[in-house]
Amino acid sequence: MKKRISRKKVIKIKLVIMVVLALSVVFLTLFAGVIAKNDPYQTCATSIRTAPCVDYPFGTDNLGRCIFARVLYGGRTTIAATFALVFISFAIGTVIGMVCGYFGGIIDRILMRLADITLGFPQMVVAIAVAGILGGGIKSAMIALGITMWVSFARLARSHTFSIRSAAFVQTARFAGKNDAYIIMVHVFPNLLAPVLTNALTQIGTTMIGLSGLSFLGLGVIPPAAEWGSMISEARAYIQIAPWAVIYPSVATIITIIIFNYLGDVIMDYREVR
Amino acid sequence: MKKRLLTLMMTAVLALSAVACTSAGVGNETVTDGTETTEAAETSGDATQETVEIDEGNSGSSDKILRTAASFAYASLDVHKEYYGWYTSIYGVSETLFKMDENMNAVPMLAEDAVADGSVWTITLKDGVAFSNGNPLTADMAVRNLQRLAEVNERFAYLADFEMTAVDDKTFTVDTGDVYPTLRNELASPEFGMMDLDATTDFDNDPICTGPFVISKFQPEGDVEVVRNENYWGGDVNLAGAVFYYMQEDDPKLLAMQSGEIDCYNSVSSAALAVYEQEPDKYNVVSIPGARLQFYILNENTLDDAVREAINLTVDKDKIAEYLSGTVSPAVGPFNTNAAYGKVTVPAVDTAKAKEILEADGYMLNADGFYEKDGERLTINIKYYAARSLDTIAILIQEQLKEVGIDSILGVEEDPDATYIATGDFDLALYCMIADKAGDPLYFIESTLMDGAYYDCGGFDDAHCEELIGELKYETDTVKRAELANEIIQIAIDDNAFGYVGLFNSTTVLRPGVSGFAETIPFDFYGIDADTTIE
Amino acid sequence: MIRNILKKIAEIVLILVILSFFVFLLLYIAPGDPAEKRLTSQGVAITKQVLDAERERLGLLKPFLVRYGEWLLSVIRGDFGISFKDDMPVAPKLYKGLLNTFFLAFTSLSVSLIVSFILGVSSALRKDSMLDHAVRIYSFIANSLPNFLISVLLMYFFCIKLNIFPVIASGNIQGLVMPVLCLSIPMTGRFIRQIRTEVLNQMNEDYVMGMKCRGVKKHYIALNIIRNSLGHIFTIVAIQIGTLMGGSVVIEAIFRWPGIGKLVMDSISARDYPVIMGFVLIMGTIYIVVNTLSDMLDKVLDPRIEKD
Repeated sequence: MKKRISRKKVIKIKLVIMVVLALSVVFLTLFAGVIAKNDPYQTCATSIRTAPCVDYPFGTDNLGRCIFARVLYGGRTTIAATFALVFISFAIGTVIGMVCGYFGGIIDRILMRLADITLGFPQMVVAIAVAGILGGGIKSAMIALGITMWVSFARLARSHTFSIRSAAFVQTARFAGKNDAYIIMVHVFPNLLAPVLTNALTQIGTTMIGLSGLSFLGLGVIPPAAEWGSMISEARAYIQIAPWAVIYPSVATIITIIIFNYLGDVIMDYREVR
Repeated sequence: MKKRLLTLMMTAVLALSAVACTSAGVGNETVTDGTETTEAAETSGDATQETVEIDEGNSGSSDKILRTAASFAYASLDVHKEYYGWYTSIYGVSETLFKMDENMNAVPMLAEDAVADGSVWTITLKDGVAFSNGNPLTADMAVRNLQRLAEVNERFAYLADFEMTAVDDKTFTVDTGDVYPTLRNELASPEFGMMDLDATTDFDNDPICTGPFVISKFQPEGDVEVVRNENYWGGDVNLAGAVFYYMQEDDPKLLAMQSGEIDCYNSVSSAALAVYEQEPDKYNVVSIPGARLQFYILNENTLDDAVREAINLTVDKDKIAEYLSGTVSPAVGPFNTNAAYGKVTVPAVDTAKAKEILEADGYMLNADGFYEKDGERLTINIKYYAARSLDTIAILIQEQLKEVGIDSILGVEEDPDATYIATGDFDLALYCMIADKAGDPLYFIESTLMDGAYYDCGGFDDAHCEELIGELKYETDTVKRAELANEIIQIAIDDNAFGYVGLFNSTTVLRPGVSGFAETIPFDFYGIDADTTIE
Repeated sequence: MIRNILKKIAEIVLILVILSFFVFLLLYIAPGDPAEKRLTSQGVAITKQVLDAERERLGLLKPFLVRYGEWLLSVIRGDFGISFKDDMPVAPKLYKGLLNTFFLAFTSLSVSLIVSFILGVSSALRKDSMLDHAVRIYSFIANSLPNFLISVLLMYFFCIKLNIFPVIASGNIQGLVMPVLCLSIPMTGRFIRQIRTEVLNQMNEDYVMGMKCRGVKKHYIALNIIRNSLGHIFTIVAIQIGTLMGGSVVIEAIFRWPGIGKLVMDSISARDYPVIMGFVLIMGTIYIVVNTLSDMLDKVLDPRIEKD
C-alpha cells in the first residue's frame, strides 16, 4: 500500500516537471524575438557558415543567417502548426466518433469505411496534390497529415461512446425525454474527454515528426520561413563543413519531441493511478 | 537467469546473422547483377580495399576502368528518344555528325563537312566511320537516323518537313525548305547520335553505335557499365571501360569521391566544392562558365516600368554569385560574354537610383520602411522552384529588395512550367534553362522573346524585336547573326523584361591523374571519349 | 464463413475503387503534367506545339472521367498501363520495387522484432532493475526520433566520421545496413514497449500465480509467459505496418533504395500517374488486408472481443 502512494507521488512530481518543461519550450519559442538578438532572415555574405561564437551562439548557415534565431523561430512554426493540427483533428475526429458511436447504423458504417479509406491514402501524394492546389506551405503539410489523423480520434471516441451509451445515466436521461444532441453534449462528451484528450497529447510527438518529415522532403514551409525539418534538410548538403547547422536544429527537434512524448506518457500514468 | 539471458542473446545473434546472410543473396539477385565492384566490396567489406584491388589488377594505362557518377539514369538507351541520347553520349557510346568544342563551335565528328547553298545543305561523312559491329556508316543510314529521330522524338518532329536524300555512299543533302542557318549546330545535339538501324535489335538495351565504348551492362534507371569498342573507327581507345553509378543527389557523390569509390564527376555542388577546395592536392577541380542560365522574368502586365527598372537596379548578381560560392558566374546577358553573341550591357547596381526612380513614380516609404503608392504597399510576388539554386536566389533577391524598401512574398511551385510559366501568375518568375544549346543564340531568343513563345510569359512585346528575330532566323553569316542577337537581347534588357542572374559553371572534380572527362566543354551531354585517361 | 470472406473481399474492392477515384481526382487537380515534365527534364526550353503533341500522344487531353474509366478498365483486365515517364510497362516496375521494399521492410521488421523481443522480455521479467530502466529509456528515445533525422545523423557518423560503409551500395548488403537501422530504431522503440507491457500483463495472469504457487521453476514460468506473449506478435506488427510503410517511403527516398517508395517519389515528381495509381492500389490492398487479418486473428485469439 505504501509503495502505491509513493508511486502516485512520483508520477505527480514527474507530471509537474514535464508540464514545466513543455511550457518552457513553448515560451522559449513564443518569445524568440526577445531571446534572439539576430534577425532569423537577415542574410550576410561576410559570415557564411561561421562556427558558433559569441555573436552567433549556434553559428550561421549557408546564407550567413543566425542558426540560434532560426531554431527559436523555427520552433514557433513547428509547435504552433502541431498544436493547431492536433486540435483540429481532435475536434473533427471526436465529433465523428461520437456521432458514429451514438447513432450507429448506416452513418457509422459509412464513416468508418471512410476512415479505412483515408488510412490507405499515400501521404506524399496527398501532400503534393494539396501543395499544388493551395500553393504549398505549412498549411498543405497540415492538411496532408490531417487527412489521416482524425481517424485515431474518431475510433477512440466511437468505442468510448459505445460503452457510455449503454450506461445507466444515459438511459435515464433518454427516458427523461432529453434529445440526442443534449445527451451527447452533456453526458457522452465529458465522459470521453479525458481519454481522447490524452490521445491528443500523445499525438503531439508523432505529429511533430510527421510535419518536420514533410518539411525535410521539401513539402512543408516555404523559405525563408524557418522550420526545423527544412533547416536540417538545407544544411545536410554541407554537413561536412558546417555540422552545427545540422546538429542544433536536430537536437532541438529531438528534445522537443521527447518532452512532449514523455508528457503524454506521464499523463497516461497519472490517469491510471488516479 | 543470467545464463538464460546469455543463451537468448546468442540465439538472437545467430538469427540476425542468418537474416543478414540470406538478405545478401536476395539483394544481389533483385537489384544489382553482381558487378565487379560490389563483389569486391562484399568479400572485403571495405571500401578502400576495393580501389586497391582494381589498381593492382591493371598494370598498363589502357587497362584502367574509370568510375564516375551520373545524375540521371534512364530506362532506355535509345539514342533518339527523349533525352536518352544525352547519356549514351556521356557514356561514350553514341556519336553525332558534329560535336561542340570548348569555344562552342560545332566541329566535325562523324561528318567531314556541311555546306549550305540556299536552303540545301550538303553533308559529307568522314571516310572509315564504322559502327562497333564493323558495318560502315553510310549516307543512307545517316538519313534514316534523322528520319527516325523525327518520328520518335516530339522535340525533333520538325525534321520530318525536311527533304533528305542520300546522294552517294558518303554524301547526303538536306533541303530545309526555308533557309536554315543552324542545321550544323543542330546536328551536334546528342539526340542526333547515329545508330546501326539494321543491325540493332534491342534499341532500349543494346543500341549499336559508333562511339569508343560499347555497353556491357545496362540496368534500366540504375548503374551502367561500358567497355572499350575494339573496332573503334577513330583508332585506339585509352580506357578499358567505365562504370557510371547512378547518384542523383549531391552528398553521395561527394562522399563517394572522398572515400575513393569514384574517380571524377561533374555538376559539383557549392557545398561539395567548398570541401574539395580545402584539399587541392587530393582533388583537381575544373570550373568553366557553362550554358545553363538562371534568370527571372518580370511581368510587364503587373509591374510598371519604374518598378521593373528599380528591381533590375537592385538585384546584385555579383553578391548572389558570391553566396553560391563558385558554382555560378554572374551573368550579363543570357550568353557567355566570350561568345560573339554575348556582347550586351546592363546598368550597374545602383540602389540609390532605384529609390529615386520609385519616388519619381509616386511611391513613398511608409512607416514600416516599405514603398507604397496610394496607400497600397508595393509587394512583389516572387515565384520559384526549389532546384538549380533558385531557392537560394529567391531568398537573396527578397533580402536585397527589402533593403531598398520593396516588399516581396515568395511562392514555391513544384512544377514551374505547369504553374506560373503557364498562367503568368507572378511579378517576378525565376527560371533556369539551357540558354545556349548548340553554340547559337536563336534557340534561346525564340524560346523567351519571340511573340507567343512558351517562356515569353511576362508580357514582353516589341515590334522591332520581332522584326529582328525574323531576320536572325534566316541570316547565314555568323558575324551578322551575333550582331542581330546582341541587338535583340539589348532591347529586352533595356525594356527591363528580364533579369539574367547567373550562368552555372560547368564544374568537374577529378582525382589527380584523371583527365579528358569533357571538363573543358561547357555542355552537359559529354563525358568519356577515346582520349579519357587515368594515370 | 465463405460468405463472410466474400463479403469482406467485396468490401475491400469497393474501398479500393473509392480510394483510387479520390487519388485520381487529386492528381487531376494538382498542377503539373507528365508531358511537360518529360520534355523539360534536362532544362531545354519547350514550345507549345511540341507540348501539345506530347500531351495528345499520352492521352492527357481526354476528359477526366474518360481517363479514370479507361484506367479502371485496364486495371480490371490486370494491366497497370504504360508509364508516362518512359513508355515502359508499369507492372514490372511496381513488382520490382515491391520486392525490394518487402526485402527492406522484412529485414527491418525481423531485426526490430528480435531485438525488441529480447530487450522487452528481459526488461519485463526483471522489472525496475537497472536493465529495465536502461531499456525503457532507450525505447523512449528511439520512439521519439524521426527517421529522417536518424538517417542524417547515421550518415554523418558512419559514412563521414568513421567511413565504415561505402557510399555506393544501393541494393547490396552494405547498402542495407543504414536503411534498416533507420527503419528499425524507431520501430524497436515501439515494439519494446508493447512487448514489455504484454509480458507484464501475462505475469499478472492467474496461470502464472498458479504456477508460482505450485512451485514451478522460475525459468519454466518465464518460458510459458514468453510463449503466451508470442501469440500477440501479429497484432503488434499489424499496428506498425502503416508506420513501416510510410517510413520506408521516406527512407527509400533518402537512401535511394530501389523500392516502391523511391519509385513513387520519383513518379510523383515526374507526374507519372499510372505508377502512382498502381502504388495506391497495392499499398491500399496490403494495408487493408493486413488490418482485416489482424482483426480476425484478434477475435480468434481472444473471444472476449465482441464484434461491433
